[in-house]
Amino acid sequence: LPPPFKPIPCKPVLFDLALNHLTLPSLDDKVQTKRQATTALTDKGQQQQQAGLTS
Amino acid sequence: MTSDKQEKIDEQLRPLYAELQKYGQTQDWDRALKTTRKILGISSNEKKATQSKIICLMQLDKFDEAYGTMTKNANDTADLFFERAYCEYRLNRIEDAYNTLKSIERDLSEREQELLAQVLFKLEKYNECVDYYRSLVKNNADEYQSTRQANFIAALATWKLTDPSCNVQLESN
Repeated sequence: LPPPFKPIPCKPVLFDLALNHLTLPSLDDKVQTKRQATTALTDKGQQQQQAGLTS
Repeated sequence: MTSDKQEKIDEQLRPLYAELQKYGQTQDWDRALKTTRKILGISSNEKKATQSKIICLMQLDKFDEAYGTMTKNANDTADLFFERAYCEYRLNRIEDAYNTLKSIERDLSEREQELLAQVLFKLEKYNECVDYYRSLVKNNADEYQSTRQANFIAALATWKLTDPSCNVQLESN
């Protein structure tokens, strides 16, 4: 006769969260021409200034 | 190579990089991978394209090929600690993944900590794993927070289950 069944704790499941962080590197420098890159930089600077004013 | 010639190549690659960026945003990894191959066909020493190719391969579950590409392009991929460690993790080379993450000499970024916590769980170092999850749960507020909480509890419970010296009160957490 087989021994009676006994409940045992199971190992909890661990979810893979690291894969969500896998993204392409920033390609902005490759996509923009040099001139566009500089204007984008100044735009960003202005945005940051504005953000600084409102916060 | 003269800078004039390089500029010509850059000009030629620009639309391809724009395409790659677009596919990255829409998570169309098959097409993104094809685009990286086109870029590398024109110029083989494009660091960003090589790195992007590896990430596409990983997103397509081709960890072996991604890892091989990293080994072949050691110079261009030396700073891809997270990607290397994640490949090792998925290729079941957990010790290697651990060593890769431990070889990082600066403070670990959030995603590196997240991966390290998963690696520690696999290595059954629940004590350290719990410490990482405790700080990750505390310092994060993204959309995955509830899953992270679940991982934290999984680590705590397994620790308590396997290590008699663990004196964590599950109720208090």
